Amino acid sequence: MTAQLAAVAAPTPRRWRPRPGAVVGAVMLGAVLLLTAVVPLLPAFDPMGQDLRAALLPPFADPAHPLGTDALGRDLLSRIALASAVTLGMTLLIVIMNAVIGSTIGILAGYFGGRLEALITLLSNVTLAMPVVLLLIAICAVLRPSAGLTILVLGCTWWVGYARVTRNVAASLRRQDFVVSPLTQGGDTFWVLTRHIVPNIWPHTLIIAATDIATIVLITSSLEYLGLGVQPPVPSWGSMIFDGQRHLGGDPWLALLPGIVMLLAVGGAQFLSQQFTAETRGGLLRKGGMR
Amino acid sequence: MSAVLRIEDLRIETTGDAARALVDGVSLHVDRGEALGVVGESGSGKSLTVLAALGLLPVGTRIAGGRIAIDEHVLVDVEAGVWAGERELRALRGRTAAMVFQDPMSSLDPLRAVGSQVAAAVRVHAPMSRRAARERAVELLTSVGVRDAAERAGTRPHQWSGGMRQRAMIAMAIAHDPLLLIADEPTTALDVTVQAQVMDLLAEVRERTGSALVLITHDLGLVAENSDRLAVMHHGRVVETGATRAVLDAPAEDYTKRLMAAMPAESERTAPAVRAGEPDALVADRIVVEYRVPGRKAPVRAVDGVSLRIAAGETVAVVGESGCGKSSLAKAVLGVQPATEGAVVLGGEPVRKELAARTAAERERAQIVFQDPYSALDPRLTVHELVAEPLRIRRAYSRAAVTKLLEDVGLDDGHAKRLPGQLSGGQRQRVGIARALALRPKLLVLDEPVSALDVSIQAQVLELLDGLQREHGLGYLFISHDLGVVRSIADRVVVMQQGRVVEEAPTAQIFRDPQHPFTRQLLDAVPRLDGPRRGSRPLPVS
Repeated sequence: MTAQLAAVAAPTPRRWRPRPGAVVGAVMLGAVLLLTAVVPLLPAFDPMGQDLRAALLPPFADPAHPLGTDALGRDLLSRIALASAVTLGMTLLIVIMNAVIGSTIGILAGYFGGRLEALITLLSNVTLAMPVVLLLIAICAVLRPSAGLTILVLGCTWWVGYARVTRNVAASLRRQDFVVSPLTQGGDTFWVLTRHIVPNIWPHTLIIAATDIATIVLITSSLEYLGLGVQPPVPSWGSMIFDGQRHLGGDPWLALLPGIVMLLAVGGAQFLSQQFTAETRGGLLRKGGMR
Repeated sequence: MSAVLRIEDLRIETTGDAARALVDGVSLHVDRGEALGVVGESGSGKSLTVLAALGLLPVGTRIAGGRIAIDEHVLVDVEAGVWAGERELRALRGRTAAMVFQDPMSSLDPLRAVGSQVAAAVRVHAPMSRRAARERAVELLTSVGVRDAAERAGTRPHQWSGGMRQRAMIAMAIAHDPLLLIADEPTTALDVTVQAQVMDLLAEVRERTGSALVLITHDLGLVAENSDRLAVMHHGRVVETGATRAVLDAPAEDYTKRLMAAMPAESERTAPAVRAGEPDALVADRIVVEYRVPGRKAPVRAVDGVSLRIAAGETVAVVGESGCGKSSLAKAVLGVQPATEGAVVLGGEPVRKELAARTAAERERAQIVFQDPYSALDPRLTVHELVAEPLRIRRAYSRAAVTKLLEDVGLDDGHAKRLPGQLSGGQRQRVGIARALALRPKLLVLDEPVSALDVSIQAQVLELLDGLQREHGLGYLFISHDLGVVRSIADRVVVMQQGRVVEEAPTAQIFRDPQHPFTRQLLDAVPRLDGPRRGSRPLPVS
């Protein structure tokens, strides 16, 4: 019956029509990416150069500084572009690290089960119980805060979601006949894992990663805001907002502009990932009467 | 007499740009207290037709024309522009018309006590206290033959067997004495003996409540025994309809005749393919399989000292109900679930018990064709890749070898590029067979290889298996619960009950002169075309 339903629902050749949410998301995220990619190519790109005579210029006042300057006279457009590259780069690295660690752990737990699974469940629960931000602050009290440290700590503590989902999928795949079949033909565990388990699991990992991007951007940014992570003079969204809030009364754009870019990135990523998840999932029964 | 369900000229299409008709011009009606059998193979539109009647069409399909009325209440009339809303349908589902689904394993919530699920079904349409609903649920469960219902109501579905779960589903369906019961393949997932019990129960329930029944099935035998009228569907159309007995005695349409001809023959295999002089495909000596169950000290003994010998070119069928140990026996032969005691000899050479300890050369002597053609094939791989896999494992891949294997099972290059999702059940099973043959095994374990297939496809696959056996001198260990299928293919039959062999004899002897009472019980439970087992029971019209 289920198979029959699937057969009915699957082969309809549908033209892909993007949902409105996806278009909005793509435009938002696209704008940020464009900014990050194009601005460093401009001849006026100079995120570090100070010019105290031209400090705190408002946006659109000086053609040399289209978005104005900060308290040290540094070009805001350049700084926002660099900050975007820094924050997005860190986020991507953290998400990839977590996805790899979490999926590996989840696959091993789900496929092998038994004591390994019990151990990994314990490890997940311990990890889940750790307040990441507090942990990072504590570590930074001992070591010097740096981007590398943030990446390392966040990259190794946010994997539980991946592990949980992939463990369940792996455990159900393990019972499928197509996983048993290569074993009876002389294949080994490595063969089964690389040919059947991993390829069937990575779409799930991708879905979580897509939804995770926005979360990680927010976490890294709040850490930057606290001064943990990338150190000055290299800018990041969080540190720029922190610097800007001191001038919130007179020159609000200093905090607002990086904030808006961050909003575009987080919102765009969220809209897109929702679209992505919906595409992959799809419902079985229609709702809402006969029509 | 007023019709409980009337479907007129129904047309169901796929949605989207290239709309395809899945059901076209179907008209059916069911009178009060009547039992209508809807027969057809998968894809004939039989399920869609009745799902549409309850507004439960799957995503990607829509009603494009026609009229549906339940108890004279028009739900859809495309021409008149009548479309019932979700609220209207909800009021109707469960109260006027109720459904019993195919798979009792997945239609109950695993996390909730069965009793509370039945109680929930009671409370949907009858406002009453939780306590009263629970009492009513126990009453209903008792009425469908659940013993100690008050105690069992508190347990969760995993503690219930398939047959008991289907009883619980029926209890939910009759909670509001519906005028119409729709049963979509209600017994396909069950053993024959349990199937007989469930069908008896449905008949008894209908006698008590006077409800009409729509029985959707691919099994003509089941319809022969359990329906008053019959509609045969093919490619989204009703090709023949009439009184069940009349249609089966004198089918007018070609398709009906073909369907009947494809029923497993009631005769034995005439030309055995046994090859003398070649080593036995399998010798299993006093196999014991034990499982450790968490929380229990003594292990569960699934197979209890079974010995089995299969010559090259011989087919030995192992039959029994689910849980009798037949699958565990097959797994022990393959080494997937190693035997606790005993010895396995494949193609004349002893092999180790655990699969992991067997060398690749030892493993390739016994291969398996799985029951479920859906979970047997990795959904991401093409047919070519699927069949190539065993060859790649053994580093013996060549494109020509794969093409030859596909040819042997009747598939061509056009199929080779497809994914399993683009194949029919029968084609998938052919891919599974080709894959199992790739390493030239001595023994093929066939774990219910045709039970998931339509009768006409069943016949084709069995024919294919017969041909391959003659060509390669394969020994077949044929696991099945379906004695009808076994009769036409097996040379010998082994009947298992509770981990032990209760009877073993050549096929003809088992069918003509069964010795053990359990064998007789199994034989009696098989639905037959030639008439109602329990006598025609005219139902009271309320």
